[in-house]
This record gives sequence, C-alpha cells and structure tokens, in this order.
Amino acid sequence: MRVSLFPETALGSDMDALLLRSLQSYVIDTFGGARWQKVCLGADLGVMSFEPMLRYEPGTADRIAEVAADVLGRPFDAIWEDVGIHLVTNPEREGIRRLLRFGGVTFADFLYSLEEMPGRARLAMPDLELPEVTLIDLGEDRFELRCQSHLRATQRVLVGLLTAMADDYGALCLIEAQADYRTSISILDRRHAAARRFDLALPGK
Amino acid sequence: MQTFRSEDRIELDSAAAAQFMPMHLLLDGGGRVISLGPTLARVLQADAVPGARFEDLFEVRSPGGAVTIEQVLARGGNRFRLLPRKGLRIGLRGLGQRLPGSGRILLNLTFGIDLIKAVRALSLTDADFAATDLAMELLYMAEANAAVTHELRGLNLRLEGARMAAEEEAMTDSLTGLRNRRAADLVLERLCAARAGFGLLQMDLDYFKAVNDTLGHAAGDFVLGSVGRILREQLRAEDCAARVGGDEFVVILAGRIEPNMLQSIAERIIARISQPMEFEGQVCQVSASIGIVRSLDLAVPEPVQLLAAADRALYAAKHAGRGRAVLLVTRGE
Repeated sequence: MRVSLFPETALGSDMDALLLRSLQSYVIDTFGGARWQKVCLGADLGVMSFEPMLRYEPGTADRIAEVAADVLGRPFDAIWEDVGIHLVTNPEREGIRRLLRFGGVTFADFLYSLEEMPGRARLAMPDLELPEVTLIDLGEDRFELRCQSHLRATQRVLVGLLTAMADDYGALCLIEAQADYRTSISILDRRHAAARRFDLALPGK
Repeated sequence: MQTFRSEDRIELDSAAAAQFMPMHLLLDGGGRVISLGPTLARVLQADAVPGARFEDLFEVRSPGGAVTIEQVLARGGNRFRLLPRKGLRIGLRGLGQRLPGSGRILLNLTFGIDLIKAVRALSLTDADFAATDLAMELLYMAEANAAVTHELRGLNLRLEGARMAAEEEAMTDSLTGLRNRRAADLVLERLCAARAGFGLLQMDLDYFKAVNDTLGHAAGDFVLGSVGRILREQLRAEDCAARVGGDEFVVILAGRIEPNMLQSIAERIIARISQPMEFEGQVCQVSASIGIVRSLDLAVPEPVQLLAAADRALYAAKHAGRGRAVLLVTRGE
C-alpha cells in the first residue's frame, strides 16, 4: 500500500490528514516512537510521519488504524476513541481543548456549538473541509449527533472527544456510537464534578 | 430634534440595559455619571461612581480636540474613541446620543482591537459580554489562527529539515562519506567566480583494480572507505574532498597556494594511503598518484581548465612511476 500525497490539489482529504496526525501523536505519546515506526513499516507507507496541514488519499486514516490495531493489539474502535480523548486531555495539545471550550459555558452549549465546528474551523483555514455535524435535541438532556464521514474513524474520535469534553465540563454523560453515523448522548448530571478552569484569554507573554 | 411616536420609544430598565449593553454609560445633561453597565464598571474600576464627570473618566482620542461629552457628540457622536484615565488603560470605541426628553446622554462602548488585552487583564468571561457580541468569535479566531500558524511553522521546519537532509544526500558519496562530483563542481565554480586562491588535487588510486580483482568488490569498497577516512583526517573543515569516479578523487584546498605546502599535503596523503590496509585478514596494498594545480597559475581560472590541468599533472605523476605528487606550473595558459 502506498500513501499518496495531494498537497496542492483538492483531491486529498483534510480529515484524513488531521486524523492521521492525531493517531500518530497518540501512538507516540502512549506507546513510544518505536511502536509507531512499526505501524508505519507494517503499513508499507513509505513515510514515517503525517502532516496535519497536507492532504492524503481519502480513507488512509482508516487503513493505517487497521495496521495499528494489529501492532498494538487493540480494537480499531477503541484506538480511535482513545485518540479523541488524547486530543482533549493531552497537555501538550491544550490548544484543541481551548478551542472546543470556546463553544459554550455548559456542556449542552458545547454540544450545540458542534454544528458550528466546520464554520469555526474555516475562520482559521478557509479551505478546510470537515464533515457537517447535526445535533438533535431529544429533550430531557438527551441528544443525538449525526456526522456523516467517509472515514469510520470520525465517529469514534467524536465519541472519545465528547467523553473527554464532558469530563472537562464536569458533566456525567452516557455517550454511545450508534448505526448510521449517529451518536447518542445522555447528560445524567450536568454538575457531576467541578469543571476544569477555562480562561478566555491565555496569560500574556 | 427628531420626534418619535410613542410606539417607537424603547424603555429599558437598568437590568435590561446591563444585559443588552454591559458597557453602556448613562450621563446626565451635564455629563455626569448616572449609571453604567457592569463590564464597563470593571474597566473603570474605582473611578466609576455616580456623579463622576465624563472628562475626568476618559481621555478623548477622537474626535480630536474634544474634551467634554458635549464636544464629542457635537463633532462625531456616532463614532468616537476613548482611553480611560485610570483603571485599565485600553482603547474603547463607542457611539452616543442625547436621549429625547430628559436630555440624558447614553453611550455604548466596546473594546476594539484591545479585546484580548482586556479579557486577560480583567479575567472577563462569557457572561461579561452581550449574547450578540462577537467577542467570543474574535477570541476563538485569534487562538485558532495562532494554532494554525504554529502548525504551519512546524511544517516549514520539518520540510526545511527534510530539504537539507536531501541536499546533503545529493552532495554526498555514500560509500566514502566524502562529497560527490556535483558538490566538488559547485565548490570549484564558487571559488573560481570569487577569484579565490586555492590548490586543486586530482588523485587516482594505484593498484586499486588489482585489489578489486583478487580480493573482491567488498575489499575494494573497504579500501575506498579507508581512503575517505584518511582524506577527512588530513584535511581541514574548509577543504573539500570528493570522490568523482570509481577510484578518482578531487581535493580542493581553500586558500592554500604555497607550492611546498601543497606538495607536502599531497605526499602526506599518499604516504597514509600507501600503508597496508587489512580487510578480513587480508592485506590490501594500494597507493595513490596526485596531480596538483594552483588556481593562480591560470590567467582566468575556470573549473574546466583547472581540472584539465590537474589531470595533466596527474598523468605526469603516473608516468613518473606512481605513488607520486606532481605540481604543474602552467603560467600564462
């Protein structure tokens, strides 16, 4: 299998690039660089590192994750959920958690802001293509999130990301991946624990 | 003054005004504070007391020359810029209007480009802004942009690292770790263009073919690697040693033009190469012949002529019995 790069065309996929880089960070931070090299060699990639700002052949992220599942001895879905959690909780990538926290004051606000996520991302990168997200409010603090993506990974990363963000807001939630790109979210306790501190502006340098 | 129909009139109590305009300021007809929004109160801090005069609270940055609120409204009521005299010194932008009837004056202010500074200094939160305010979006965008810039800078550094590695690889002879012909040509061109004085050695190994034929290619490669090591040891960092063919080498000695010096360097290299090298228990015996030219000896030094002259010197060295270095003087060529 070869990885094709489409750095200057619209052919490649932004989502694959972002997920590949996230997977790479997660594997290196959690299992070490040697295991990541093993994944890359096992996948016969020809590259050892992925660039989040470039584009890759659509579907690459799912294919690499299948190799990672073999190398790490962990199921595909669990790996991507861990990647989602890692994105939010890894102190070196505090920026992502902060950008997500701008979504709202409460976890429910945050859920609504997910619909704006592709638009928000385009504020910083006008040509970034992220899958559309729809939130359906079922009442009584139950929600359904729909996010159609060409990657199986996307839904699992969202589950991990939502789980970690619920924790960040101090909300107790049940979050489950369902069929047809749907994810169900039940907020059991909005104030289960103290939310992590969030200052609107970072301390100046 | 314009008159309004009663149904066009909007009445807001102070709680609603605070919610819609958390940075408003209500002044009496004489420009003294009646009340103000909670976020503006945090900006002005202890200064913001009822009865305080507008001109004591703010320095007017525009419209130019205005000091009192009367002058501000007269010259540019729809858009003015203020700087608090005490409290937090950050630029505020606003608009104001005298309210019908009572003659009171309503100002609504906003942080312009100093938003991030204000949020940081006052630890403002979502609740300090009106729900319609784009402050959150602006803060979000500033951080998102910083994140993208950070990523791009990282990408550039990684690409630059890869480019330098590729360039180094493209200039290096992998077997000996010396430079290759392309690199030597570039150095020669650069030195010739700069009219620099330098010495050029053209070196051929003697008896190398015999080693290759009798002991095999692995032994030959071992000899070439050893020659590479010897050249690196004998030369300074500013010199350039390159393998330009099978057993052909070029050495460029920057700044070295003294004939005796060049001759002795060449002879030292030959002496080292002529010492027996042991490969897997077998002795490989080679030697080297070197032709030497100096850039100064050509009227107009050009890489091609210099290499041709060095080649003639090398031929002379081989002809004289191998294991020798010959310096060719070609004055006036």
